Amino acid sequence: MTYYLVDGSEENFYTAVFDAYKDNDCIITSERNVQLGLGFEVKDVITDGDKARRVKAKINALDRGAEEDVSLLLRSDSALKESVAFDYIKLIIANRGAVRSMLANPTVIEMTTLRTRVFGEAHRMKGLLRFMENANGVLYAPYSPDNDVTEILALHFAARFSGKQFVIHDVKRKIAAMFDGEEIVMTSAGDAEIYLSEYESYFQNLWKQYYNSVNIASRPHPKQMRGSMPVRYWKFLPEKK
Amino acid sequence: MLDAERLQILTESAKYDVSCSSSGSKRANRKGGLGNASVGGICHSFTPDGRCISLLKILMSNDCLYDCEYCPNRRSADVRRASVTPEEICELTINFYMRNYIEGLFLSSAVFGTPNHTMELLTDTVIKLRKLYNFNGYIHLKGIPNADDALIMRAAKYVDRMSFNVELPSEKSLKLLAPQKTKEGLLLPMKKLRAAELYDKENKVRGGKVIPAGQTTQMIIGASPESDGQILRLTEALYRRIGLKRVYYSSYVPVVSSPKLPTIGAGLLREHRLYQADWLIRFYGFDVNEICGEGENLSAEFDPKCHWALRNMHLFPVEINTAPLETLLRVPGIGARGAYRITEARKYGALDFDNLAKMRIILKRAKHFITCKGKFYGSESANAVTAALMLDGARERQEQISMFSSPSVALSALSGEI
Repeated sequence: MTYYLVDGSEENFYTAVFDAYKDNDCIITSERNVQLGLGFEVKDVITDGDKARRVKAKINALDRGAEEDVSLLLRSDSALKESVAFDYIKLIIANRGAVRSMLANPTVIEMTTLRTRVFGEAHRMKGLLRFMENANGVLYAPYSPDNDVTEILALHFAARFSGKQFVIHDVKRKIAAMFDGEEIVMTSAGDAEIYLSEYESYFQNLWKQYYNSVNIASRPHPKQMRGSMPVRYWKFLPEKK
Repeated sequence: MLDAERLQILTESAKYDVSCSSSGSKRANRKGGLGNASVGGICHSFTPDGRCISLLKILMSNDCLYDCEYCPNRRSADVRRASVTPEEICELTINFYMRNYIEGLFLSSAVFGTPNHTMELLTDTVIKLRKLYNFNGYIHLKGIPNADDALIMRAAKYVDRMSFNVELPSEKSLKLLAPQKTKEGLLLPMKKLRAAELYDKENKVRGGKVIPAGQTTQMIIGASPESDGQILRLTEALYRRIGLKRVYYSSYVPVVSSPKLPTIGAGLLREHRLYQADWLIRFYGFDVNEICGEGENLSAEFDPKCHWALRNMHLFPVEINTAPLETLLRVPGIGARGAYRITEARKYGALDFDNLAKMRIILKRAKHFITCKGKFYGSESANAVTAALMLDGARERQEQISMFSSPSVALSALSGEI
């Protein structure tokens, strides 16, 4: 059994697919702390742009949506994400075309489950992300999602906030998307020190007031609220602090 | 600037408007502008009653000229009155939107001064938001009954959705409980807006369409004596003739005491059943006559689809691998998404019960109505099926009455995305 150890980037993963494709006894993973037994071998995958391009060209020719599926899968927090993506690519090639609608196939079920979780969390965060305005008018949103959805969110907000500067900061993964009003740059980011605008607390208070007054207190249903807005997200929501 | 007290008065008055959806529009942002609309809608927060917050729901004023019996803000009520200026609304919307608290604005108002004066002020506000503040997020504007057509059509060019509330399910009840509103005053502007929507569609207008997210309406259930059958016939007409996107039902709660109003609320199960029937009409290909007779009410024991299936047992069981989509949609326990997924998956090979379970199709109720590769796992006799489903229904109802103080709540929570 060979472990192809990847670094988490898409290019590196596609290179691994190229290297591992003919190997019937292997696993692609980005998990660094795998338990190795006898007869196990570890290969560090070194990104090769040419190999990655060839794999992408192959799957794109068979299914135009496949690259996006894989891109979403690789943002998952599942330890199996590379394995599922690899199986999915192999299935597309074996089937010589899109397999997305083979909804009873186990690989497609796993792929759909992970993809839905990533896509679902990205959609949820489009609503639950909270920006604060700093003294220079830059919007800053710290959060801690399960899946790596920062890039997806940055694209969404860049379309909304034309010409405005913002930072979306994933404090768990220590990465951030920065938008200067025109372009998005992904960067690593540790702790941030923020000087808030003088209006920030005024609007946060109005928002809390609004949150309390739209609630119909005589019809409590906290379970429904927590189902749609899990408690782990609350620490970044002014209305829930 | 707006203070917390006025915000409280004007949002507490607005919260009984059920609609909070922000879907149906794909308005794009402009260079240097703020916001766009997301076609599927986005929920931004959830309150402890389980409902979603998608829009900033606020009244311009709660100082009302009218004296509708059921309304907490009616002329004769003794409540705190407040109003805000267009600028204050704009500032608040922009600042909430920028912080991603909301998806847009739901602006409504009590009728103050005259209907035209009110409508003018509402229109001024949305035009200011669009032009001066360059705001391209979602706007839902409540129409003021009896305002001039020209004012209403002008506003329609700038907003994503407009709604006039039919308020009550019959003209007679409207006369009794909302004497200053008339059926024509409510339906005419809806029809005019529909005509404008159709004009845009026929002429393939791309930029600057009127109300791209269409119209909705709301009615109070249980404040007047109409049956569910009558209500659903009105609903069907509103969908098919005026092309509404949604009809909202709001179960009557006695907040105001009046000799013309019942002293007890309508109950949330009734509201829940109406929404279920509404969904059958819109997404499951049902005709209102199949669901409920004109003078009848919906069954409390069974959801309307189950109830229909039990009366039509001769049509079941159906074979999962061959039944057309329209038939799968009529199987109790299989939803629109499930039915579609079955038709996709079976193209690649016949499905058995195990496949369905792995695809997360819930078989608890469906198993009585389907076969997979000819195999049947349900109860044999019609009576046994009824008994099994009754047990299930009782459990569901109990859940709804105890922990779910409001079934509508679950639906309203979803409505932000529908």
